[in-house]
Amino acid sequence: MMTCKEVLDSLSEYLDEDLKQEVVEEMHKHIGVCSDCRAEFDTLTMTVKLYRHYEQPEMPASCHDRLVKTLELEKMRSKSGQSSSGSGA
Amino acid sequence: MITAESDEELVKKAQADDERAFGELIGRYESKVYSLALKMLRNPEDAEDVLQETFLRAYRGIKSFQGNSTFSTWIYRITANSALMRLRKKQLPMVSIDDADEREAPINIADWAPSPVEQLLSQETQVAMNEAIDALPPEFRQVFVLRDIDELSNAEVADILDLSVAAVKSRLHRARLKVRNRLATYFGESKTRRAMGAKT
Repeated sequence: MMTCKEVLDSLSEYLDEDLKQEVVEEMHKHIGVCSDCRAEFDTLTMTVKLYRHYEQPEMPASCHDRLVKTLELEKMRSKSGQSSSGSGA
Repeated sequence: MITAESDEELVKKAQADDERAFGELIGRYESKVYSLALKMLRNPEDAEDVLQETFLRAYRGIKSFQGNSTFSTWIYRITANSALMRLRKKQLPMVSIDDADEREAPINIADWAPSPVEQLLSQETQVAMNEAIDALPPEFRQVFVLRDIDELSNAEVADILDLSVAAVKSRLHRARLKVRNRLATYFGESKTRRAMGAKT
C-alpha cells in the first residue's frame, strides 16, 4: 500500500487526473483506511472546487475607452516617428 | 455566410498595419486580460494599468511576433509578466518561493470539505478566498490563478510562464496546499464562531 507521504505528494496529480489507474486505485485504498489522508484529500479537493466557482466583477466599459485612447495616442506618436522600440515575441 | 477570422489571420493583418484587425484582437482579449490581471493583483486600478501596458506592448511588438506560440499565449504571457512585476514591487518583504515551503504547522483540518460548494460560497468565504490568494508568493499566485481559476492546462500554463510542466505541477501543488491551509483556518474559526454564537 502507498505510504501517507506518497499519497499526499500525489494529491494534486490525482485532482488533475494525471495519475495511472493503478496508482489511483492504491490511493483510494489508502484513503479508505487513513482518516488523516482522507481529510487532506477532501479539503484539497474542496479548495480546488471552490476556486472553480470564483467570481469577480466584469471589466468596466471605461477601461476599454481608456485603452482605445491610449492606443490612438501611440499611433499618433509612431506616425510622427517618436515611438520607442517595442517588445518582441 | 460570414466566417469569423482566426486570431492568426487577424495577427497577419495587424502586422500589415490593419488597425481594424488589431481592434478585433483587442475586442477578443481585453476582458480576459483584465480578468487575469485582476485575479492576480486583486486591485481594479492595477488591473486596468496592466491592461493598458499589455496592449501597448502588444501593439508595439506585433510586427516582431513570429507566431511561435498562439496570440492568446503571447498576450497572456505579457499580462502575467506585467502583473508579476507589479506584485514583486508591492510585496514586502520578498519571500523566496524555495523558502516559502509549506512549513506552516500541520493544520487542524476542519470538517468543512463534505459541505456542498454552494453552501460554503458565502460573501465571507469569498473574502477568505481572496485573502488566501493575496497570501501566496507571486510566482505561486501566477500558477494558481492560471490553472485553478482560469482552468488552463498545465501545458498551457507552462507555455505562458516559460516553465517546464514539472515546475508548474510542483508550484501548483504547493500553492494549493497553502491556499487550503488558509481556508482550513478560516473554516475552523468560522465553525468556532458559529458554535459560540449558538451557546449564547
